[in-house]
Amino acid sequence: MIEIWLAFLTGLTTGGLSCLAVQGGLLASSLANQIESDLRQSTRTAGKRKTNPTPPAGQPRMAVPIGVFLLAKLLAYTALGFLLGLAGQTFQLSPLARAVFQVLIGVFMIGSALRMLNVHPIFRIFAIEPPAFIRRRLRRVAASGSASLATPAFLGVLTVLIPCGITQAMLAAALASGNPLTGAVLMFAFTLGTSPVFFAVAYFATRLGARLEKHFMRFAALVVLLLGLFAVDTGITLAGSPVSLTRLVNNAFPQTTAASDPAVLELQPYQPFSQQGNSPETDTAADEGTITIQVLNNGYAPNVVYAKAGTPLKMRLVSKGVYSCALAFVIPSLGVQEMLEPTGELWIDIPPQKKGARMPFSCSMGMYTGVVVFDS
Amino acid sequence: MTRNIILHIGDMHCPNCAMTLEQIEDTLQGVQQAEASYQKGRMRVVYDESALSEAEIRRAVEQLGYTVTAVLPG
Repeated sequence: MIEIWLAFLTGLTTGGLSCLAVQGGLLASSLANQIESDLRQSTRTAGKRKTNPTPPAGQPRMAVPIGVFLLAKLLAYTALGFLLGLAGQTFQLSPLARAVFQVLIGVFMIGSALRMLNVHPIFRIFAIEPPAFIRRRLRRVAASGSASLATPAFLGVLTVLIPCGITQAMLAAALASGNPLTGAVLMFAFTLGTSPVFFAVAYFATRLGARLEKHFMRFAALVVLLLGLFAVDTGITLAGSPVSLTRLVNNAFPQTTAASDPAVLELQPYQPFSQQGNSPETDTAADEGTITIQVLNNGYAPNVVYAKAGTPLKMRLVSKGVYSCALAFVIPSLGVQEMLEPTGELWIDIPPQKKGARMPFSCSMGMYTGVVVFDS
Repeated sequence: MTRNIILHIGDMHCPNCAMTLEQIEDTLQGVQQAEASYQKGRMRVVYDESALSEAEIRRAVEQLGYTVTAVLPG
């Protein structure tokens, strides 16, 4: 649920503006026909009557093609999110493959940002150019002169061919979700978020001033750069690296819930699963040989767990009303990749570890992290 | 007679610029094909020499807000 809100807010803020910079041309093209036909009609009417019927800016007629364009775009991206989620589900990526994928996306985003900032022409290799025949088709459709709603609808669908940097990041998240429904909902929320900016700009001004556009592009580039660095960092975290910015930040703010009390967490006698209480509320005091970790919307508590070396352990993950990516739990060094229920618990067997070993764990996006330290 | 030239374009900021430049295929009489590449920063133009001159193509590109840094035979 939090991701969906985040996707919507990203769309509403940076996503909307960044997409407008890339796809604004298509929207303008689809509106050009309407403007032209309105102008022709008003000139004709003005000739017949002695009034000046020039329509005021923002007339309702203009809202229809904008609306159709945005609706087509929304449907196309939702369908794409569904397909990507399905692809992610079919080809279940291992944590390492996902980490590599995330780092590559990060590198792509950093390259795109440097391209947007015009650092060097070499970064243009990070631009996605549709093939010439698609560009020609787009141009012809836009200039076909028919003011029918098919044009904005077609061009709206075609925006999937020119996703902006932030959209590309969102598409990657849809793929990583590994669930067609989540992928579709994520893309729906994000694209819906971008719509008001598109609508407002197209309806009231139609074009950003050149000066504003330049500043805006710099701002968008910096956002993409930061997101790119974040993606690389979370990729490194997901690969199980003990050193990363995300871990540094997470460790700087250790979770301080009751479960982090060393007396509770340190070794307790292990009992078979059948003898243990099932309710997360009543079972905070874990048994010996069991590590209990609360899965929360904003991470794991505790996120630094001390455990006994040289003996098998059970890790018990408890979630209660959680809807964040913390539910997708990963232990890279063991190849563990589990999906928790929003409310429930999950047990993971931990084989004996050497004294002094550190076993990092994280969510599947590498955003929320923690570590088990085998110190005794 | 058909001629093929490659224009090196300055001031291209995004892939959308390629689409803008390729408009000359529809708007400039005598242009048979125009294919621009943002990545390479250039545009290949195939045109009818009897209907259009190189200078006119250059002017059309500049009117779209871009600079032509060089013109080479394609």
